[in-house]
Amino acid sequence: MTPEELRDAQQDIAVHGARKGDFVRLGDTDLVIRVENDDRETGNELQIGFGKNARDGMGMRSVRSSESCDVVITNVLVIDALLGIRVTSIGIRNGRISAIGRAGNPDTMNNIDVVVGSGSVIIPGEGLIATAGGIDTHVHAMTPRVCDSALSSGVTTVIAQEFGSFWGVGISSSWALQQGHNMFAHWPLNVGILGRAAGSTRDPLLEGLEGGVCGFKIHEDTGAHPRTLDTTLTFADEYDVAIALHTDGLNEMSSVADTLNVIGDRAVHAYHVEGCGGGHAPDVLTMAGRDNILASSTNPTLAYGINAADEHVAMIISAHGMNPELPSDVEIAHRRVRQATMAAENRLHDMGVIPVTSSDALGMGRADDTWRKTFAMASMFADHSILDGSVAPDEIAVSNERVLRHVAKITINPALVHGLSHEVGAIKVGLLADIVLWPYASFASKPNMVIKGGLPAYGVVGDPGATVSNAQPLVIGPQFGAYGASAQELGVHFSNGLSQVVVAGRRSVPVQNTRTVRGSDMVRHGILGEVQVDPTGHTVTFNDQIVSSDAITHSPLTRTFLI
Amino acid sequence: MELTPSEQDRLLIFTAAQLAQSRRARGVKLNAPEATALIAHAVIEAARDGASHAQALVAGQTAVTETELLPGVGSLLTGIAVEGVFDDGRRLVVVDFASTDTNIPGEVIRLEVAPQVSTAKTIDIIVRNESTIGISVTTHMHFFEVNPRLKFDRAAAYGMRLHIPAGEHVDFPPGQDVSVELEAIGGNRVLIGFAGLVDGPLDAPGAKEQALAKAREWGYLDGGQS
Repeated sequence: MTPEELRDAQQDIAVHGARKGDFVRLGDTDLVIRVENDDRETGNELQIGFGKNARDGMGMRSVRSSESCDVVITNVLVIDALLGIRVTSIGIRNGRISAIGRAGNPDTMNNIDVVVGSGSVIIPGEGLIATAGGIDTHVHAMTPRVCDSALSSGVTTVIAQEFGSFWGVGISSSWALQQGHNMFAHWPLNVGILGRAAGSTRDPLLEGLEGGVCGFKIHEDTGAHPRTLDTTLTFADEYDVAIALHTDGLNEMSSVADTLNVIGDRAVHAYHVEGCGGGHAPDVLTMAGRDNILASSTNPTLAYGINAADEHVAMIISAHGMNPELPSDVEIAHRRVRQATMAAENRLHDMGVIPVTSSDALGMGRADDTWRKTFAMASMFADHSILDGSVAPDEIAVSNERVLRHVAKITINPALVHGLSHEVGAIKVGLLADIVLWPYASFASKPNMVIKGGLPAYGVVGDPGATVSNAQPLVIGPQFGAYGASAQELGVHFSNGLSQVVVAGRRSVPVQNTRTVRGSDMVRHGILGEVQVDPTGHTVTFNDQIVSSDAITHSPLTRTFLI
Repeated sequence: MELTPSEQDRLLIFTAAQLAQSRRARGVKLNAPEATALIAHAVIEAARDGASHAQALVAGQTAVTETELLPGVGSLLTGIAVEGVFDDGRRLVVVDFASTDTNIPGEVIRLEVAPQVSTAKTIDIIVRNESTIGISVTTHMHFFEVNPRLKFDRAAAYGMRLHIPAGEHVDFPPGQDVSVELEAIGGNRVLIGFAGLVDGPLDAPGAKEQALAKAREWGYLDGGQS
């Protein structure tokens, strides 16, 4: 391009954002995507503002929202595991996505998919990336502020195991659960609570269902015995709820092979499958790659870094009620920390073997770090030539598939694993409009706006007394959707078919299809095979090939953006 | 002190700027929030020292230097809005740091020229502003129904709009002839509202004649054959 054409292009990008064929670098990572599609018609892009075309009769049709939409996010670069990478507009009606495609007034513009009414709320998306809201399936809600932390990072659905600074690891008291659901209704957040599957009999499990849990947690700290495992899985099959499993790290009653034997071909969500977060040492990672085992990672081991191992011993002792003065506690904590399985876990993510990432917030993970860590990990395996200038721009190795795979890990796949995909997990017509808007420059690190059920619930807000809304100090904080009765109404309580719980102002939705979901259903994953860990924990193979990765010294999305 | 919410926010800037300042003093390269805090702080303190708006802007622009920043940070320091308390009251200052860093987070790379207007067929018409003030017309305005004081071939402009990138406009200075390109309005070609000359389907039988008659009746200047 000539200098003049280049200037025009920069101006066009500043106004309209990326167009089809453009390359976009995500944040400060090495991930470069290429825009696959653009639903806009050149010259008919809908634009808001002074002298723009989103005006009555021009780009907006004078009809009620029932014939147009309540809210429209215009001209945004969608990165969605199902929809792909495309510039489009998203129409929202009654809190759900009602249409996706070209936005405007069909009376004056060609082939309009999203009819914009004269009264529609417009959220301009130029220069922003839209993803589905993050789904964090592993949250220890030890402090209420964990909900703020999650929302501020682009997480809109949380599967929690507590609601207070107490020993929970799943709650099955129906009285306590009713209180818990009431408490969570304070935030514009979808919340499901896991019951504690620590009983060898069905009665405590039934009580949990009556109390409105969305699944159960089996944890070695409350008993991950073969009997508990079998009772809970049989029960789950009857009532269609998900089972999250933290296996027996001591190998006290069973080794990993025995656990797999008890599970049989029943679906299980294997939490922190690498093992540092807990589970059969040193070989719990061998659970990954099987069709009925839906494996996930927690975020401290992701983007495997040079300090990963060093932070973990103290973390384990602190999170699991252990005593650093007790040599036997220190010794078993050390057994859980293995660099080789961490290095392998990251590679298995890139290969599409491990389909889900989560936080393990306040229980060995960070509530607001899952998007960041997931994409820092994706960047580890990207072509690094973009930054050193060693290749011409048109030879840039495009990371579209890798990026879509990593988006799937924190959106659609956890939704499928926990039976939430009829409500959340993708930018798809019919689903809740839980959408995160990210600047290109800080994608996956700091969102610009978190839209919950169609309205801004969290996001960048500034000096409230200023003339403009973006005056410093900008903070990521509550938006109007986080206040009043709307906070209750915009979120959903994920529940089950036997629940007796009523949460004032909030819809309860049973989870679905948790028992039939398989690893091969995992979007942009589904790579099955045999993971083996040698008895020392020093070597990991997948289908007999060694899998590993190099620890990174600098994590993208982090130093540039965090004070 | 009776601090307002807005004043309390100043303290957040101050705290972040102090932290950034101490890090800079140790030789640590600054990241985006650190550099932003120093820029906002510099504007606020310049205002407090009695600087003019222009002087405070310069204070913000020069609060950090490229060599003090981590790679990739310079391009993030744009559109930093901050309100200082100047001698004549509170004023908004928006600072853009002039970065030369080629490491640009979120960079969009375009290899080929992308068209910005449609490929529709166009016509040229000459428009004269017969009024004493400037008139501007935007892309999706039905050109037939623009300000009555613009004189041009109204019939030729029926069902047409300006052929320019969406969201831009053309200025018609008083007493001047301006040549513009028009393209046909797309979609169902139904115009509701505007100045009320059509208020229905453009291509319905008799619609154009009716609209022209109305325009004449309402005093719209028309440079076309009548």
